[in-house]
Amino acid sequence: MVKAYGSGETRVVALDHVDVDIARGQFTAIMGPSGSGKSTLMHCLAGLDTVTSGQIYLDETEITGLKDKKLTQLRRDRIGFIFQAFNLLPTLNALENITLPMDIAGRKPDAAWLRQVVETVGLAERLKHRPTQLSGGQQQRVAVARALAARPEIIFGDEPTGNLDSRAGAEVLGFLRRSVDELGQTIVMVTHDPVAASYADRVLYLADGRIVDEMIRPTADAVLDRMKDFDARGRTS
Amino acid sequence: MSANTVMKTSLRNFLAHKGRMALSAVAVLLSVAFVTGTLVFTDTMDKTFDKLFTATASDVTVSPRDSEAEGSDTGRPEALPASLLATVKQADGVKSAEGAVSSMNVTVVNADNKNMGSENGAPTIAGNWTNNDLRSMEITSGHAPRGPTEVMVDADTAKKHHLKLGDELRTIAVTGDIRAKIVGVASFTVTNPGAAVVYFDTATAQRELIGKTGQFTQINVAAADGVSDAQLKKNVAAELSGNGTYKIQTQQQAADANAADVGSFMDVIKYALLGFAGIAFLVGIFLIINTFSMLVAQRTREIGLMRAIGSSRKQVNRSVLVEALLLGVVGSVVGVGAGVGLAVGLMKLMSAAGMDLSTNDLTVKWTTPAIGLLLGIVVTVLAAYLPARRAGKVSPMAALRDAGTPADTKAGVVRGIIGVLLTGGGGFALYLATQADKASQGSLWLGVGIVASLIGFVVVGPLLAGLVVRVISAVLLRFFGPVGRMAERNALRNPRRTGATGAALMIGLALVACLSVVGSSMVASATDQLDKSVGADFIVEGQGGIKPQAADALKKVEQDGLVSHVTEVKWVKTTLTTPGGVKEEEELSAASPSYTQDLRREATSGELSAAYGKNAMSVGSDFAERNHLKVGDTMTVAFHHGSTAKLRIAAITSDDTAFDKGAMYTNIATAEQYLPKDRVPLNGMMFAKAADGKETAAYKALKSSVAADPTVKVKDQTDYKETLKDQVGQLLNMIYGLLALAIIVAVLGVVNTLALSVVERTREIGLMRAIGLSRRQLRRMIRLESVVIALFGALLGLGLGMGWGATAQKLLALEGLGVLEIPWPTIISVFIGSAFVGLFAALIPAFRAGRMNVLNAIATD
Repeated sequence: MVKAYGSGETRVVALDHVDVDIARGQFTAIMGPSGSGKSTLMHCLAGLDTVTSGQIYLDETEITGLKDKKLTQLRRDRIGFIFQAFNLLPTLNALENITLPMDIAGRKPDAAWLRQVVETVGLAERLKHRPTQLSGGQQQRVAVARALAARPEIIFGDEPTGNLDSRAGAEVLGFLRRSVDELGQTIVMVTHDPVAASYADRVLYLADGRIVDEMIRPTADAVLDRMKDFDARGRTS
Repeated sequence: MSANTVMKTSLRNFLAHKGRMALSAVAVLLSVAFVTGTLVFTDTMDKTFDKLFTATASDVTVSPRDSEAEGSDTGRPEALPASLLATVKQADGVKSAEGAVSSMNVTVVNADNKNMGSENGAPTIAGNWTNNDLRSMEITSGHAPRGPTEVMVDADTAKKHHLKLGDELRTIAVTGDIRAKIVGVASFTVTNPGAAVVYFDTATAQRELIGKTGQFTQINVAAADGVSDAQLKKNVAAELSGNGTYKIQTQQQAADANAADVGSFMDVIKYALLGFAGIAFLVGIFLIINTFSMLVAQRTREIGLMRAIGSSRKQVNRSVLVEALLLGVVGSVVGVGAGVGLAVGLMKLMSAAGMDLSTNDLTVKWTTPAIGLLLGIVVTVLAAYLPARRAGKVSPMAALRDAGTPADTKAGVVRGIIGVLLTGGGGFALYLATQADKASQGSLWLGVGIVASLIGFVVVGPLLAGLVVRVISAVLLRFFGPVGRMAERNALRNPRRTGATGAALMIGLALVACLSVVGSSMVASATDQLDKSVGADFIVEGQGGIKPQAADALKKVEQDGLVSHVTEVKWVKTTLTTPGGVKEEEELSAASPSYTQDLRREATSGELSAAYGKNAMSVGSDFAERNHLKVGDTMTVAFHHGSTAKLRIAAITSDDTAFDKGAMYTNIATAEQYLPKDRVPLNGMMFAKAADGKETAAYKALKSSVAADPTVKVKDQTDYKETLKDQVGQLLNMIYGLLALAIIVAVLGVVNTLALSVVERTREIGLMRAIGLSRRQLRRMIRLESVVIALFGALLGLGLGMGWGATAQKLLALEGLGVLEIPWPTIISVFIGSAFVGLFAALIPAFRAGRMNVLNAIATD
C-alpha cells in the first residue's frame, strides 16, 4: 500500500509500497526512526487513516474503502487501541473506561472474561477510581484492559510505554506479552524503544516509508545493534 | 515585557481565538445594539414630535387656562370667547391673528362605519382650517371646506383608507354627527406619526365641536416682522390683562408643552426598553465570564510559560483584560452600527403598523454612540476581570504540568455559604413581602427578595448544578445508555461553567415565569371578582367616554323591554372638604342608582342605595378612616366648573375590593344639580342587565344600538373576560418578545460553552472515536449535554420565577390580586421549549465535533 500527502512537487510519500502480513496470535513490533512512517502504517492498518492506494484486510474484511460508519463499527467491535497517553476518559472510572467500547456498542461485557482481564492487569482494587487518581502505569494498564476486554481480533499500540518509567513500562509490556501467550491475542505495537520491541515475536523495521528488515524472536541487544546498523548506514549513504 | 508586548500578545491571542470570541462579541453586539437602537428610536420619535409640534404651533398661542387638564371629560374642548380675537389683534407687533377650533374627542367613520382614526393611540383631531395650518400642511387636491357639508382630510388618512374627493365622512362629535363630503385633501409637510385630522369651515367647527358659536378653542397669533415671539407674548398678555386669565405661550413653549405630554410616555417606553437591554447585558456578562474562564483554562500552560520566563502577574492579568477590551471595542462598535439599523427597522415596522415615522428624522445624538460604546466596553472588561485575575494567579509551575483540563472540582465552600445565605435571605425577604400589610413596604421586600434570591441562585448555581443535573439525568438521560451517561458526566465535570451557562438562561426564564404567573393571576383574579361582584350582564366602554348619541341609543333598548335597566356612570371632578377641614381633590362616581346592582359593593356602614338619595354620597373605608368620617357627616363638595354642594355621607364602602376601590358614589341627578349642562361629563362606562331570559336578544340589541359609533364596545361578561385575557396576553407576549433578547444571548452562551468544551475535549473526542464511538453517538452526546444544561437553567429559572410571581401575587392581593394562578401550560411549554433550545444550541458544536478528524484529534496537544 501507498500513503502519500499532497501532490505534485510537494508530494510526500509516507508509506512507499509497504506490503505486510500480521500473523494471528503474534506480538508484532514496528520500529523505525521518527519520520519513518511507522505511526502512519499503524493508523492505516487500524482504520484510523486512509491509504492512497493498496488494500488492507482484517481477516476477510477489506477495510480500505469502508465508509466512516463501517470503519467506526470495525474499530469498535474488532480492534483494540492503546495510545501513548491520554487513553482514558477523565469523567469515567477505571471500570467504565474498560467497558466503554462494549457500552458504546450496546453489548454486555462477558463477566467472567472481564474479571480475568482485570485480574491479569492487576486492577481489581482500583476499578472505581477515576483516571486522575491512578498513576501513569496504572492508567496504561487500564488502557490495556480496555483493549483486551472487548476481545478484539487485533490490538494496536502506539508507543504504549512511551510515557512510562522503565518499571511501569516493563509491567505493561509484560501484560501485553501474557495476553498473547495466554489469551491468544494478536498485537501490533509501534515503538522506538528496543527494550519494548524485545517483548515482541517479530520486529518490522521501517525506514523512509519502506519495510527494510525483519527480526524474529528479538532480544533487546540484537534490536539495538540492528538499529545502530541502520543509523550508520543511513549516515554513510 | 513592555506594554507594547502585552498589547501584541493580547492582539495575537485575540485574533487567534476570533472564532471563540465571536459568540461573546455577538452578545456584546446585541446588547449594545439594543441600547443604541432604543436611544436612536426614542430620540427620533422625540424629534418627530418636536418638529410636528413646532410646525403646528403659531408664534404665540392664546388658549383657555386649563385647556388640557379638563374638558375631555365633557367631550367638549375648553373654549374662549371669539370676541377676544379683536382684542388680541390690537396688541403691538401682531401681524395677524385668527381663531382656531380643534377637538380631539371625535370619531371619524367612512360610509362603511369604519373608524378612520389610528388604532394605536394616536388621536383623531377635528378642527377648522386656518392659515396657521398652512405652516405644516398644504392642500394637495380639492379645496378647503366652505360649508357645513364639506370636510377636508389629511393625506395619510386618505391614503390609508382609500378616501377620495366626494366620499362622505361622518364625524361623531359630542353635539352630534357631522355628515360631510370630502372636498379637499391636505398633506403634512412634516412627519405626522399617525393622527387622523379632519377640517371643517370655522362656523361648522364652532357649532359642532364646541357646541356654541362665538367661541374658539385657541387664538393663533403671528408676529410682525422683527418682533420676537417673547416680545409678542408680552404685548398680547398686556392687551389681554383684565379680560380674564388665559394661557399665552410662545411657539417654543407650546411645542415644549405638547412634547412634554408625549415625552413622559416616550420615557416610559425608553426606560422599559433599556431595562430589557440591561437584562440582556446581565446575561451577556455570564457569557463573557465563561468565555474568558475557558480561554484562560485552556491557556494555563501557555500562561505558566509566560510566568516562567518572567512575566509578572500584573502583565498576565493585563494581557487578558486587553483582550477583553478588544472584544468590547469590536462588539460595541458593530453594536452601535447595528443599533442604528435596528432603529430604522423598528421605524419601518411601526410604519407598517400605522405609525408613520420618516427616516429623514433619524436622530443619532453624539451621546448615543458614546453610551453604547462605553457600556459595551466597560461591561466586557468588568466581566473579564475575574477570569483575568485567575489568569494572573497561574503559577509558573503550570507550564511544566500536564495541560489536561483543570477542573474546578472545589466549587468552594465559601461560595456555597455565601450563595445559601443570599438565597436564604432572599427567600426570607420574599416571605416578609407576603406578610406585609402595606404595599409600599411589601414591594421593597419583594425587590430585595428578587435581587437577593437571583444573586444567591447565581452564586450557588455551580453547587446546584451537581444535584439538578443528576436528577435531570436520572429521569431523562438513562434512556440514552452510555452516551447519556457521558453527557451527564460532561455536564458535571465543570460545575462552575455549567452553573454560569445555566444561570444565564435562568435569568430570562425566571422573568418569563414570574410575569406569566402575575399575568394569569391578574386574569384569574379579575375573572373571580367579575363573577363575585359584577351583577350586570353587559359592560359598555367607549374611547374617551361614551358620547350622548350612543348613550341615548343604549337607553332606548330599555324601552324595548329587552333589558331591565341601563346604568350610566360618570366621573366628576370635585374638591372635597371634610367636616374636619381637610381638602382633597377627588373624583365622584356619579351613577344611576341601579349601579348598586351592577357592581355589588360591601357597605361597612350605612346602606349603599341611600348614597343615591338626594344630596347624599358614599365614601370608601380607607378615606373614611383617614378622615374620621362616619355615616351622617356632611361633606362640602365643590364641583369643578359648577357650584358647591353639601352632601351627606350615607354609606361607607369596604375597600377590600378589586373594582372601584376607594370610589365615592353619588346619584347622577345630584351631580347634575350642581353642574351646568355643558359641564356634565360624558358617561365613562355603562352597564346593562338583560330582562329575564332575554340575554341573547338583549346583547344583540345593545350591540346594534351603538353600531354607529365603532369606538363604543358592548360586551357581555364572557366576552369581557375574554378581552381582559387577550389584553393581558398581548402585554405578556410583548414582554416575552423583549425578553427573547436576553434568552437569545443566553442561548448563545450555551452554544459558546459547548463549542469551547468541544475544542477543549478534542483529544477525548478523538479517543472515543478511535475506540468506536460513531459520529451519530458523538453528536447525540453533545446534544444531550446541551439539553441538560438548558433544562438545568430552565428548572432553576422557572422555579425562581414562580416563587417571585407567587410572592408578587400575595403582595398584590392587597390591591385586589386575590387569586394565585400558576399557568402550568406556559410553564411546561417553556420547560419543554428549553430542551429544544438545548438541542438547537448544540447543532453547530455537535456538527463540528462530528467532523473532527480522528487522527488530528488524538494528536492534539
